[in-house]
Amino acid sequence: MTHLTMDQLLELRDGLTEPGGAAAGAHLAQCPHCQAELERLHQRVAQLKALPSLKPPRDRWPVVRSRLVKARHRRFAWGGVGGLALAASIALVILLRPAPLTSPAAAPDAQAELEAAMLESRLLEQALTQYAPDRRVTDGYTARVAAELEDRISALDQELQVIQMTPAPEGDRALLQLWQQRVGLMDALVNVHLTRASNVGL
Amino acid sequence: MTRALALDPFPLADAEQVVSRARRGDQAAIEALYRAFEAPVYNVARRICRSVEDAEDVSQETFLEVARSIRKFRGDGSLWGWIRAIAASKSLMRLRRNRYRETEELHENVTPRRHEDGLLRMDLEAALERLPDVSRAVVWLHDVEGYTHAEIGEMMGKTTSFSKSQLARAHERLRRWLGEEVAV
Repeated sequence: MTHLTMDQLLELRDGLTEPGGAAAGAHLAQCPHCQAELERLHQRVAQLKALPSLKPPRDRWPVVRSRLVKARHRRFAWGGVGGLALAASIALVILLRPAPLTSPAAAPDAQAELEAAMLESRLLEQALTQYAPDRRVTDGYTARVAAELEDRISALDQELQVIQMTPAPEGDRALLQLWQQRVGLMDALVNVHLTRASNVGL
Repeated sequence: MTRALALDPFPLADAEQVVSRARRGDQAAIEALYRAFEAPVYNVARRICRSVEDAEDVSQETFLEVARSIRKFRGDGSLWGWIRAIAASKSLMRLRRNRYRETEELHENVTPRRHEDGLLRMDLEAALERLPDVSRAVVWLHDVEGYTHAEIGEMMGKTTSFSKSQLARAHERLRRWLGEEVAV
């Protein structure tokens, strides 16, 4: 005698009506073997449901809270309009500043370097915006590293706002250094996200 | 619709008020949600994912998503059902990301335990753990959490038939590993 397959037993258990369901039901009604199999299936599922709940090994709320705060901070700092506008406004103010009166020979190079750093920073920021890390699942380690970098960038942006009020040439030198640091941090941030993405094959 | 849970099995006192506050970004309310659902979310994640670390990451991602999306919760269904769907989806996403391989040999090559009746068997916990990832996820989501095959297929980006066949294969294995085959 051909007994019911597991598919058929599951269909019967779930009360689904597949083609051949009536024949399977008729077989079940007169086959002690299949009745026993169905009973075992019921018992197994009952045991699955009765398995003890697995408890989280540690309290992760501090991590979740920290990431929520960081996410909120990120939204304000450079999510969408806010952050990019801040970076852009800093860049605009710098570009519109009058040229320094001292060290005229060094000025064109310094200005070119500054503009190059600002451009690179903007390109990296655009790359990150396109990658949209907020919409992706990130592991805890990556999120932590990214959040630290974002904090440093945010702090650096505040420094940039202050330094633009400092008169040249001290202000210009500091400005260039800060923008170069910003490029370094942005580069690291992009790398953190992209490296992680390539590691998991996304 | 899932078959299970018309009523929330993990009731939260003042749920409506907590949700309303969470929608406004109140951190204490989000913590209340976390405290109420941390254990069941972890359980779903751990039953689907293979490692504690993955389950912890999934739990974390789930609550971040809950905080982000609580405005979308309309309140016309079970709060746990809504959170559980996020947890299940994140867990399946984690499986896909990890790309655990459905290596038949690996999973078939298990060490059964000798039980009191002298037969070599695995216990259910160990057998479940050793199922291939997708099969284990289907068993858990269908037989324990009450999702339909159509829902599981949709969550996995597969067909309803795929979910059904995974469940049948999983039960065949469990039956064999647990020594539950009925003598012919």
